[in-house]
Amino acid sequence: MIALVKRAFDAWRGSGPSAVTVPPMDGALRPNQAIEEAPVLLEIAAPDNLVHDGTRLLFSSGSTVYAMKATGTESVAAFDRPVSALALHPGGAMAIGLEGRGLELRGGQHDGKVITELGGRPVLCPTALLFTDENTLLVALGSQQNAPERWKHDLMQRNASGSVWQVDLTNGKATCFADRLAYPYGLLAAGDGGVVVSESWRNQLIRIHPNRKPKVELSDISGYPARLAPTADGAGSWLAVFAPRSQLLEFVLHEPDYCDQMIQEIDPQFWIAPSLSATQSFLEPMQLGGLKQLGILKPWAPTRSYGLVVNLDGAFEPQVSFHSRADGRRHGITSCVEVSGRLLATSKGGNAIVSIPLAAGV
Amino acid sequence: MAALIEMRNVTKEYRGVPAIKNVSFVLERGEIHALLGENGAGKSTLTKIMAGVTTPTSGEMLVDGKPAQYQKPAEALRDGINMVFQENSLVPSMTVAQNLYLGDEKFFNRLRGLYIAAQQFLQSLNFNVDPWATVATLGAASKQMVEIARAVRHNARVIIFDEPTASLTPEEKHHFFSLMQRLKERGVSIVFISHALEEALEVSDRITILRDGEHVITDATANFDRDKIIRAMVGRNLSEQLYHRHEGGGARRPGKRVLSVQNLSMGKLVRNNSFSIYAGQITGIFGLIGSGRTETAKIITGVAKRDFFHGGEVRLFGRSIRYRVPRQAVMDGICYVTEDRKIEGFFETMSIAQNLQLNELSSGQSKGFIVRMSDMYSLAEEWTKRLNIRAINANARVIELSGGNQQKVVIAKSLAQKPRVIIFDEPTRGVDVGAIAEIHQLINRLADEGLAVVVISSYLPEILNISDRILVSQRGRIVEEFTPDQATEEKIMYAAVH
Repeated sequence: MIALVKRAFDAWRGSGPSAVTVPPMDGALRPNQAIEEAPVLLEIAAPDNLVHDGTRLLFSSGSTVYAMKATGTESVAAFDRPVSALALHPGGAMAIGLEGRGLELRGGQHDGKVITELGGRPVLCPTALLFTDENTLLVALGSQQNAPERWKHDLMQRNASGSVWQVDLTNGKATCFADRLAYPYGLLAAGDGGVVVSESWRNQLIRIHPNRKPKVELSDISGYPARLAPTADGAGSWLAVFAPRSQLLEFVLHEPDYCDQMIQEIDPQFWIAPSLSATQSFLEPMQLGGLKQLGILKPWAPTRSYGLVVNLDGAFEPQVSFHSRADGRRHGITSCVEVSGRLLATSKGGNAIVSIPLAAGV
Repeated sequence: MAALIEMRNVTKEYRGVPAIKNVSFVLERGEIHALLGENGAGKSTLTKIMAGVTTPTSGEMLVDGKPAQYQKPAEALRDGINMVFQENSLVPSMTVAQNLYLGDEKFFNRLRGLYIAAQQFLQSLNFNVDPWATVATLGAASKQMVEIARAVRHNARVIIFDEPTASLTPEEKHHFFSLMQRLKERGVSIVFISHALEEALEVSDRITILRDGEHVITDATANFDRDKIIRAMVGRNLSEQLYHRHEGGGARRPGKRVLSVQNLSMGKLVRNNSFSIYAGQITGIFGLIGSGRTETAKIITGVAKRDFFHGGEVRLFGRSIRYRVPRQAVMDGICYVTEDRKIEGFFETMSIAQNLQLNELSSGQSKGFIVRMSDMYSLAEEWTKRLNIRAINANARVIELSGGNQQKVVIAKSLAQKPRVIIFDEPTRGVDVGAIAEIHQLINRLADEGLAVVVISSYLPEILNISDRILVSQRGRIVEEFTPDQATEEKIMYAAVH
């Protein structure tokens, strides 16, 4: 009863869970232009799912999976649906998540295997895949309602229907690790047999384990987290953040009627919602605080897109970060991997793969 | 021509303990004479004797070559000797103009004329203070200006300034120093007590240094440098310890995010302010007076209230907090070491032990209803040892301690509450160089032990050298962040002003 009154009181005065606030980007998240200034390795439409198994370096663009080699890029596999998740095993296996379709395995012991359901649920929105061994695959399903291309809808509907599954590839048995997640988007193997999951709509990283309660490892991230990757030394990890949070976006997310009407009446590219890239259309709304005068977008207009990669230590505390700021182009970073002293990151909104040199000690 | 003031072998004892011993001092006409020394060196006692606030136990004072023994300040004032005290002596319920003319009122006062005269007078001094404003509503810097204006208005021949610049912004300091030069050109002699050695080197003609109540040296300012002054003041070379970086050299890596301030607002003083504080780091916050640093700290610790509607969020280890009273913050491990120690820091007439015990009681660590005297004294003994508080014993009243030791008591009170986050607001204001070094070592030690430490300071060298990250506050919000290797005084000041 007291909790109910408190919730009503908080909603009335805009405090507690109803506060329209955003954590600052300071300390290790202090803005810079490292992504913007980094050399572009490859310009390609909407690159995503950068994965590395020690020898092969793959990524996806649309419905094709490419291999990145010293001589250039080479198509490895093509599908009739966009590739939304990718995983490699050093043994040669490759798992591919296809938007609205399911999972496919290529190479290795389970070549040709197709998974369309997990625990009786259709695999509609595979967002991340991870091999824990050659016969075990972890699968993150972002949503039960929306395919990955409709991620904005999922956010605006305030869904929390994501789940993480462990699939035994030998017999097809699927075990649900965690349910009711708010768009799990990245997976990272944890040393204790568990897995760390980036939960985008709750702006947090959680550690899930089959026999334990989920534990929040990093909360209140200043943006919407995407995929995770281990650092080269294995002591820490890299977190890609595909869009920023702002007070405007938080305010809109606190207004369900506004969101519903926006979904019904407005083209998604003009929504007041996070975005992978900055649209430059004159149809863009003023974004409440934002204003375009004499053709110039005023710099204080709240940005909806951003580029950010964060280096986390073993305790998942941010140590260093790389940014492409509001006025940059390399936005919508969805995945990254550390290879040979460089950090490669896919700017899905900026249509490029950038190569960020890593200073010693990072 | 005889010196304006000459003091010969002056001694002043309190309860048999000498505050100054056989001190001789000469003030020439039209000179700015800096009086330096650690807290407790006897500077204030010497100047209080000059201004008739107290009388010497032995020794002689000559004014214009004639013996003078003032029993009260009014007598010194008649001879044109005026003192501007460190603690301001204005009447808070009166207006600025009324304070300026206090004691000089005519039988029938024409108020309008009084205010116009006050305004013209303040303008002539370049002081931007409203004569109609009630003194209680003024900030520390404005109060200081009124104090100075009052001294100047009394056509003083000697003005004694005790720490006049402690609460002034850099711009106000600049105005103040040019005012001192103008007074000097008019033939006014100035005795200038300051802990900011650079200021003494910049503005004074001669410097006198006292140590432990005794005269050490008097010489022309040109013959001094910073190191020589410090050596004379403390009897050892402190420049290595003072404003040095901690043992590890570079900035400490951030630990866990302990405190996250998000879009905090309080009227016009704190506006949409956001920043984070990390464990194991010293976060320095620089800003000019009125930039909202102290107010933000006070909101976090429950001393002040944020806006009722949409006042923003403060998260401690990810948990939203909103305190009604400071005790709740203390219980959660957040402590605030106030900038105004005399008003908010301690009960000055109570002993060190009683002050510490009171804070422990408020932290909820105390067991039972009855305070054991033995526990109280062992607590006081522990902290006087740990922080090297110099006092006769734990029964010494805080008012009897020097500024540096008073500050250590304030810090000890907070540390006794076992904080996880500690916010120091101007920790070395009005503190001598010896104590500054000790307080800085202590702050560094706390960060090394893993505490989240915040240091709010208006003194740039302090911020630059002690901080692992530097935040700059301007008009109620953090506007810039620097790492120590990127930061320079110019960059920080530019961010604070523009």
